[in-house]
Amino acid sequence: MADAAGDRVMCHACGGVWPRSEHGLICPQCQSDFTEIVEIPPDPDEEPPSISDRPDSASSPRSAGSPRNPWADHNPWAAPQGDQDRNEGDQPWDSGSGFRHRTYRSPDGRFTFSTTTYTHGFGGQSGQSPSTRSTSNLDPMMMVQNMDNIFRGLTSNYQQRERSASVSSSGQASSQPRGQGQRLGSFEFNIETGNSATSSQDGGLHPRDADGPQPINNPLRTLSDILELFRADLGANAQAAGTGGARVVTGTNPLAMLSSLLSFDRLGDAVYSQEELDRVISQLIDQTANRGAPPPAPASAIRSLPKKKVDTEMLGHEGRAECSICMDAVELGAEVTVLPCKHWFHYNCIELWLNQHNTCPHCRRGIDSPQTQGTSDNPVVIADSPEPVSRRTSSAEANPGRSSQPPPGAWPEQSPSSWSSRSFSSWSAAQDRNNGQDQRRDSRGEGSSTGSGFTGWVRNRLGGGGSSS
Amino acid sequence: MGSQKRIAKELAELTESAPEGITVKLADESNLYIWNVYMEGPENSPYQNGTFHLTLTLPTEYPFKPPTVSFRTKIYHPNVTNDDKGSMCLGMLRADEWKPSSRLAAVLQFARQLLAEPMPDDAVEGRIAEQFKGDFARYEEVAREWTRKYAVRG
Repeated sequence: MADAAGDRVMCHACGGVWPRSEHGLICPQCQSDFTEIVEIPPDPDEEPPSISDRPDSASSPRSAGSPRNPWADHNPWAAPQGDQDRNEGDQPWDSGSGFRHRTYRSPDGRFTFSTTTYTHGFGGQSGQSPSTRSTSNLDPMMMVQNMDNIFRGLTSNYQQRERSASVSSSGQASSQPRGQGQRLGSFEFNIETGNSATSSQDGGLHPRDADGPQPINNPLRTLSDILELFRADLGANAQAAGTGGARVVTGTNPLAMLSSLLSFDRLGDAVYSQEELDRVISQLIDQTANRGAPPPAPASAIRSLPKKKVDTEMLGHEGRAECSICMDAVELGAEVTVLPCKHWFHYNCIELWLNQHNTCPHCRRGIDSPQTQGTSDNPVVIADSPEPVSRRTSSAEANPGRSSQPPPGAWPEQSPSSWSSRSFSSWSAAQDRNNGQDQRRDSRGEGSSTGSGFTGWVRNRLGGGGSSS
Repeated sequence: MGSQKRIAKELAELTESAPEGITVKLADESNLYIWNVYMEGPENSPYQNGTFHLTLTLPTEYPFKPPTVSFRTKIYHPNVTNDDKGSMCLGMLRADEWKPSSRLAAVLQFARQLLAEPMPDDAVEGRIAEQFKGDFARYEEVAREWTRKYAVRG
């Protein structure tokens, strides 16, 4: 099958790959004509894989011989052979010299992997684990079975990630799920390798014997570093996830991690099982359900809202009014809580609402004052001295913290003419016709007191300040 | 609980001066949180002459959380799920759209308005929405047939 130079055809329906010369353009597996010719550049440096370069003694460190694919022998779960289901749809395809294309479909059909592996730089030697060799020298089905073991292990592990039990075999691969992050958890994946005989060409990325006992405390440096990055990234994400921000699936899914480790680049951003897809979808639904719903107001902000006795003006023309939350009539002289938008409610009523959302139940304006507005996502930086002129220049881009965020209390004193009409309109579309400074002062009391309005303004200033110059 | 007081008040208002084409009563006199709503199909809509039974369910956190509206009567409508739930997708009832100052009378009137004017762009039944946009005559025909089949008594 060492037909590395010929064109191959890949079936998009079943994922199978075959040499074009053998079966033409119609998939021999599923008869689909939804196929693609895949060009595989031949690698002249490749040598056919050989075996038996390794001493049989499993305890001895691996010699220069190593499999092309570092994970080819990977079998951390080392299930007894034959107790794993095999899928008749498996289409392992081994081109021999340096190119492997493999399609794997899990027995229950929940996920399908295809991988194309180019191997060179490993010296063209292949070490087979004793168990593998005992059955077949280069049995693709064995590879598939090993993969199956990995995936089964990972999937079950992932499903049970609340447990902190680590799944490991021979001290080589240990997966330690942690309960980090409410929805997704996180995943630690540590791979240690047994020896370092052939690290000269690949910078430490070398294969290990999955079946034989090996030294444990010899971390695979490069990979560990990568995984460390993964983990740090996850940690940061888990903190940010408190606000329900979207999480990148890649990296939290052990299958995705595995696939990235194994360079399953072809799949790109993908989920690998129906469950995984369902999980992502339901997460998105959750996010959608809560998205846009404003966050709770801090208790201090609720308490500090001004209270007022109802006067005749507040009762309006009809001389009667009600709290629109409890719909009880409010008598003259009753004490109510007034929001910055001038809507007023019973304190007990508005407190209940504000404990859930920091907006006016009537007009949805935020109750936060602009001075305290600002979240970790969108901090407000108060500059010492705003320079209106600089806002019109590209310095807004170079120094956004300073030039594009004037103190809310100070900017109306700046010359209005220095504001471009564009930036003004981005501040508040509703006010863009009010060009008189007096009107603008008036409107500021309203506009700047709205949380979303102000943050929106800051955002617009940040986003548009640089480009408006 | 304050919510009961408000609910009772709204219920009283709705029973006293019910909006056009809408009748409301409690499903169970001892439970303020589940209402039976009978909604007449708006005139000049394929739902005309039909009476649709809806259930309005109020959360205990009402009015801080939105109520839910579901059709007990099968209805062929882009914004009502064609399953045993009969969920109606009302924008104002979404968590981020809901305001405590919205009244149930307004919710029900809005629901009835949706019968008169479906919003295919916010559809929950995409197929019906497609038909509504692409083959309105056929949509009307089916909706009318369903109305006759499921929503007309006697």
